[in-house]
Amino acid sequence: MDTATPATIPNRANIFSWHFMPWPYLDESFEENYESGWVTVPNSLFDTDKARGLYQEYLDELSYADELEFDGVVLNEHHQNIYGLMPSPNLLAAALTQTTKNGKIVVLGNLIPLQFRPLRVAEEYAMLDCMSDGRVVAGFAPGGGHEPYSYSYSMPLARERFWEGVDLIVQAWTEPGPTTFDGKHYTMRYVNPWPQPLQKPHPPIWIPGSNSPETMYEVANREFCYFLSTRGKLAGAKRSAVRFSEIVEEVGKEFHPHKMGLLFSVYVAETDEIARKECEEAVFYFTRYCLKGHQRNAGRRLTMAPGGLSPQSWQMYLENSVVGAKMLGDAENWNDIDEMGSIFVGSPDTVYEKLWEFVTEANIGNLLIQFHIGNLSYDLTQKSQRIFAEQVMPRLRADSENLFGERFPITIADNVPA
Amino acid sequence: MKKSTIQVGGKTIEIHQDGSGPPVLYIHGIWDIHTLQADPFPFHEQLAEQFSVTMPVHPGCGESSGMSDIVDIEDLAFHYFDLLDALDIGQATIVGFSMGGWIAAEMAVRNPERVGKLVLIDSAGLQIPGALIGDLFMYVLHRDGGVMQELRELLFKDPDSTIAHEIIPDGRVNIPDEVLRYKSVTLAARVGWEPPYLFNKKLLGRLHRITSPTLVLWGEHDRLIPIANGQAYVDNIPRASLQIVRDSGHSTIIEQPADCIDRITAFLETGILPASDAPALAPAG
Repeated sequence: MDTATPATIPNRANIFSWHFMPWPYLDESFEENYESGWVTVPNSLFDTDKARGLYQEYLDELSYADELEFDGVVLNEHHQNIYGLMPSPNLLAAALTQTTKNGKIVVLGNLIPLQFRPLRVAEEYAMLDCMSDGRVVAGFAPGGGHEPYSYSYSMPLARERFWEGVDLIVQAWTEPGPTTFDGKHYTMRYVNPWPQPLQKPHPPIWIPGSNSPETMYEVANREFCYFLSTRGKLAGAKRSAVRFSEIVEEVGKEFHPHKMGLLFSVYVAETDEIARKECEEAVFYFTRYCLKGHQRNAGRRLTMAPGGLSPQSWQMYLENSVVGAKMLGDAENWNDIDEMGSIFVGSPDTVYEKLWEFVTEANIGNLLIQFHIGNLSYDLTQKSQRIFAEQVMPRLRADSENLFGERFPITIADNVPA
Repeated sequence: MKKSTIQVGGKTIEIHQDGSGPPVLYIHGIWDIHTLQADPFPFHEQLAEQFSVTMPVHPGCGESSGMSDIVDIEDLAFHYFDLLDALDIGQATIVGFSMGGWIAAEMAVRNPERVGKLVLIDSAGLQIPGALIGDLFMYVLHRDGGVMQELRELLFKDPDSTIAHEIIPDGRVNIPDEVLRYKSVTLAARVGWEPPYLFNKKLLGRLHRITSPTLVLWGEHDRLIPIANGQAYVDNIPRASLQIVRDSGHSTIIEQPADCIDRITAFLETGILPASDAPALAPAG
């Protein structure tokens, strides 16, 4: 394989299978006894007998997505919580390099400020890119809210270190070493990592953001992909996508839907009724337990650690939000779930229509879909992925190819990964 | 209060000045004038009735610039030396509250000759086993979509009192004050979230360098910075006295302004340190 020339990628929506790898063995007593599923939730709840085989099951679900020809699988990094048992997503990505063959392996992302030196991230992604024959998408994140508590680091300093760390990593991948790096927070005499990533100039880079203009400008300037990490309804996603595309153009670059990603949860079955019946318990497990402390008002929500935004962005947030406004985790019944517009449950037609709106109205070009929801069983996760791959994915691909061809035509020459 | 700005080491610093009499530099805390609200509390007004008070706003807080220049407590200590230079003050009498007291202590161990009499009120800065500073960064966030009870518990003797609810209501205060508060907590997070929380491991071993007579005022029921921290300051500063303010939590200057002013005035006017209150008198928590 000639790795010097990036493979062209089809000009259509990319569809990924995302796994959060939650702890799936909580019961009703959790709600009563604990104010959060994060940071302070006692790890005595981690039952080692039940844990046996859990990672294998979750990895199998992602390997199956690759067999079904999803465009890739997605992992992310969280610490000290029941929402996602992936403190080191790179370990799982390494396993997936050996069990998947085709799709991308998206790690969204490595938390830069947790590293003593961000060079470590450059090294690990380069290893993964070599091990996967150039299939890695490198995500970087500053840590959303819980991580400064989990790792006792300063949220406002992390924001500064984050972009400096990203620049160090890109330098490590693109400038022939050894070079030096001299920043405010990181100074290195020798930047010269072995191995180097196969993808040139470097693996695609994705950055999660939650609508702050600062992040959008940084991402736009560097021509990375912006992943909107706040779940939300179509209108909100559309606003963000419009704002981001305007910023991309303002800084003199060209917008394409592949520069924008969004997370959804999907459960698809033969009919709307069957789908709801099969996944309802799991959906509420996810919203009530996994989101407690994150996207839920009840309990102690740590998602917006102080200093994570500039004062200007904080003011913007205050002006555009209401204290105690309902979030996904506050859903009390199935109507609420529908209303939130982020968890799509139903027949192939129903799910197609929901997702298609985001593609056609908000120009979202990377659909990142959580199939394993809460404590959904292995069999139902596989079934939902299979029906989706057979009956929803082909339509989304064909229709988005037509749409992007009209709105965002690209020539083969510049058709390289974002 | 007369409001102006001065240039300090490339930063524009908002400064409030008022009163007459001996000069006093007041270094504000995380929840204080300039940070909870722009206006002074009765404590600050009463202090200005006794002294010529200068109350600068920390870099990055209020209308001061320069937040990104500050990455640790030493940066703030040197910023305040630069400020003394800018104001042409050779030796300052300093009153510092909470994080402001920590800054004052960091100044006094570095350049003892620049600090005259020193007043530390419920001050951060030390790491005392069994009396660790509370997790203000966690409790500054709402619980159950708007409840701020735990922050009130950290800051006030009686979290259910009218004043506690007035200053830290559930939900939000007005947006300008919310932004002031966010800036203050952001600055505190820059210098005090790693290591957690709000201490410098090296400070305790340096306190012996302080030459100032030091009045250490502490809220009897301070749950953010337990009184053992005040005791440690007094045990390690050569000339210091611990004065326990009854019926008060961390927000001593807000909960017991008159008591604070009386003690500060008596000390600053005479330079005489009263005998320390026995720490055993202070109930835990």
